[in-house]
Amino acid sequence: MAKVLEGPGMGLMKKWGIAVPNYVVVTSADELAKLGQANDWMKQTKLVAKAHEALGSRFKLGLVKVGLDLNGAVAAAKEMIGRHVGSITVSQVIVSEMIPHKEEYYCAVKSTREGSEVLVANCGGIEVESNWERVKRLTLDVGQSPTADSLEKLAKDAGFTGPLAKKMADFAGKMFTCFDSEDAQYLEVNPVVTRESDGELVALDAVTLLDGDAKFRHPDWNFQFAAEFGRAYSREEMEVMAVDSKIKGSVKFIEIPGGDTAMLPAGGGASVYYSDAVVARGGKLANYAEYSGDPPDWAVEVLTDKVCSLPGIKNIIVGGAIANFTDVKKTFGGIINGFRKAKSEGKLKNVKIWVRRGGPREKEGLDAMRALKDEGFDIHVYDRNTPLTDIVDKALQTK
Amino acid sequence: MSILANKDTRVVIQGGQAGVNAARRMAEFSYLIKRPLNVEAFVYPPDAGKTNEIPYGSGLLAIPVYKSIAEATKHHPAINTSLVYIGADRAMKGGLEALDDSHIKVVSMITEGVPEKDAKLLGTHARKLGKVFNGPSSIGIISAGACRLGVIGGAFDNLVLSKLYREGSFGVITKSGGLSNEIIWICSQFADGITTAIGIGGDAYPGTDYVSYLEMFENDPQTKAVIIVGEMGGDLEERAAEWYGARKRRIKLIGVVSGFCQESLPKGMKFGHAGAKEGMKGEGSARSKSDALKKAGAIVPATFGALGPAIKETYQDLLKSGQVKEPVEPAVLPKLPKSIEEAMKADEVMVAPLIRTTISDDRGDEPCYDGYPASELINKGYEIPHVIGLLWDKRLISKQEAEIIKRIMMLSADHGPCVSGAYATILAACAGIGLSQAVAAGLIMIGPRFGGAVTDAGRYFKYAVDQKMTVDEFLAHMKKHVGPVPGIGHRVKSLRNPDKRVKELVGYVKSLNIKTPCLDFALEVEKVTAVKKDNLILNVDGTMAAVLVDIGFPVDSLNGFFILSRTIGLIGHWVDQKRQDSRLIRLFDYLVNYAAPKRREVPPLK
Repeated sequence: MAKVLEGPGMGLMKKWGIAVPNYVVVTSADELAKLGQANDWMKQTKLVAKAHEALGSRFKLGLVKVGLDLNGAVAAAKEMIGRHVGSITVSQVIVSEMIPHKEEYYCAVKSTREGSEVLVANCGGIEVESNWERVKRLTLDVGQSPTADSLEKLAKDAGFTGPLAKKMADFAGKMFTCFDSEDAQYLEVNPVVTRESDGELVALDAVTLLDGDAKFRHPDWNFQFAAEFGRAYSREEMEVMAVDSKIKGSVKFIEIPGGDTAMLPAGGGASVYYSDAVVARGGKLANYAEYSGDPPDWAVEVLTDKVCSLPGIKNIIVGGAIANFTDVKKTFGGIINGFRKAKSEGKLKNVKIWVRRGGPREKEGLDAMRALKDEGFDIHVYDRNTPLTDIVDKALQTK
Repeated sequence: MSILANKDTRVVIQGGQAGVNAARRMAEFSYLIKRPLNVEAFVYPPDAGKTNEIPYGSGLLAIPVYKSIAEATKHHPAINTSLVYIGADRAMKGGLEALDDSHIKVVSMITEGVPEKDAKLLGTHARKLGKVFNGPSSIGIISAGACRLGVIGGAFDNLVLSKLYREGSFGVITKSGGLSNEIIWICSQFADGITTAIGIGGDAYPGTDYVSYLEMFENDPQTKAVIIVGEMGGDLEERAAEWYGARKRRIKLIGVVSGFCQESLPKGMKFGHAGAKEGMKGEGSARSKSDALKKAGAIVPATFGALGPAIKETYQDLLKSGQVKEPVEPAVLPKLPKSIEEAMKADEVMVAPLIRTTISDDRGDEPCYDGYPASELINKGYEIPHVIGLLWDKRLISKQEAEIIKRIMMLSADHGPCVSGAYATILAACAGIGLSQAVAAGLIMIGPRFGGAVTDAGRYFKYAVDQKMTVDEFLAHMKKHVGPVPGIGHRVKSLRNPDKRVKELVGYVKSLNIKTPCLDFALEVEKVTAVKKDNLILNVDGTMAAVLVDIGFPVDSLNGFFILSRTIGLIGHWVDQKRQDSRLIRLFDYLVNYAAPKRREVPPLK
């Protein structure tokens, strides 16, 4: 899954014929002022300015301003850009035209196991969440496209009548085309509104989740993907992602501020069990991390460096199941280099390291880890005979 | 018994190197269970018509590579299963090709990062055809004692430790590659091992679900219990729970689900597998899945750590009720032959080396010349003559000696286009011959009449000095036993037209105040020979030879100085001709003395 910010999301909708308000994404107030001179709509209509970041509850944070004129929008941009919210700094603002409207509707397309679903409701905005039973759905098998009739029936079921039913069916049809053509996993417009000037249905907002794995067939995806958890990626997370995109196998890293137990486990499946074990023991995770698919040792070293640099950690869990083909000796080599580097930089003071692993060259790898004891590391090494997550129990018992 | 993969499974692997690696792992398993390799063919268009070599025991099997699935199944009609190892962008096409072949009943896709839409299309297509599409992102399928598809089960040692050479009683279904091995290992330690373990893949919408496999396990009398390893996201576990709870089942179900940590982590966090993401309103959460499984009557250990004991308890119940018997372990298991490298590492064999070297070693991070790392030599100011010293005479020569060698090389780098070596290179260059061959053609000219006198000159001057001969004794000896003195005599230079290069080199060496017995002797010889005929002077070869012997280089290396330095010139001539786009040379008639018989009539054939 790959989340796309509102700007590029609207761009994709527009590409498939969905009406969206005029908008611009800017990185400075000056840029916006210049664009204002060049674009008549910015002078003629009221404007909305929003921080263009993967942030939750922007409205509450004062990062959405409505009913502005151009000067007001420039002032709002000036105020928002550079603002620090938690771990992120606002770097972009999206300014769009306000569309005067009365009614608000809802339309979404989502991926399901069998294919997809088109969702339509005759209400919009926050009203949808409290009236979920008013959302009507059309289920489609994979490879199947909705017919005009089925969409019109859907719109009518949702309570649209007269010419509006046809318009809504048409809108939902375009949404599906966009969803299908762009390898989306979720598309949502809330609200869809009727533009007073011409009666056309317009998408006022866009939630766009694309299938990152399909990037190879979309050379026009020239935007960056955004984090899905209400904050932007940190620099360290981006660095690990950059490494991940370059290698065979994978390395993953997400920071969780305030934790004291750092994770450096192997395998997409096992890593979650390790995280579960920490939480079950009442520990506080400092991060989620994972390496798998026999990544090169230098990539694991980069990941280790990020893990060792997490502030306030007391334990590092180097866990893992019995690997199929990940070379334990080689990947541990990367971890060991990372540990040595961290130690030479004065990190890892009072940090205990817990290791459990199996797989190709497990003995050599575990022996190399054990040898770190002689270099002054507080390291505890276990083999396949110790059940998977027992090192977490041992680590958190000693608190 | 087993499901999906059994003794009759015959495989085609779609893909290149990753597929070959998998075939090697599969051959290790076949060897362990003493059965022939189950891979019959590869499909990989770039290599079509070739064969892939797969080690089996201490032998090698050649498995053919085809352009298409149709071609593979035409030649190997027993093929019924395909493993897909091709890249994510072409995986769907490959998967459809396999599914559409009437011979193939099971397609297991190992490829990771396949777009969701493609995976769903493949799954739907397979269901329509009544076939199994397993994956994508599957680690493989293994049936103990019967069949391995993919790398599931890990390295050979792990196959043995996990007792995969013989059947047990537990079925395993996981989304995670690493955890599949962990569960197989646990089943072998706490119970009698597995029947079949299946990696269904960690994607959001795998081609199959737990239910289809649970049905198969239910119908396999050997399987007494099934372990499913779930994670948050999707509803496969809930569907499995629903299936299990729907009526009384023969098999026991043991389930663990990961992702409880999500309850205390930021919403929307992405975990290891693409499928591991919680839906809206807690649906698909670890807790809702665990609860569903428990409610359906499955055994759900509280943590992953409690899984081993839960399996043990289940096994003990099965033993008590007589449903299973304690397994009998085979007395002897095949051992995978070690490669020479592994055996040497373990100090198990000694190999008589094929060649021996005493000068260089490139096994580290950079080459060492006679033990000195190349970069260190460079950084400490050493130069090419020192490298020559190390590689030709195994010693670190002095600065002064290096200077002499540098001068020798500069003086003999090129002597114009007319000498035989340069002419041969030019001839070759004009004929369109490549650099290395053209330079080699020039170097082949080096011999007793061109530059190749250095070694011999050195040899005889040294002999005379060692034997403390007088010049007269030496010349008499040479006349009687050898012939003309190598290093003496020049085709165009003479006493009246001396060779500046010789004068220069001799002058420099003499200015150093070092002992030069060979050079001194050679100059004495020249005094005598030049009186006899004014072009019998000490030439460049002779001078180089005498000096190099004097500074200690082995006689056998001496022609090397000429070869090395002249190579610089020969390369120059080749490049020069190339740059001028010189035309092919044909010798002019007037440069040939046609001394052959005049034209005459051919007599009738007898």
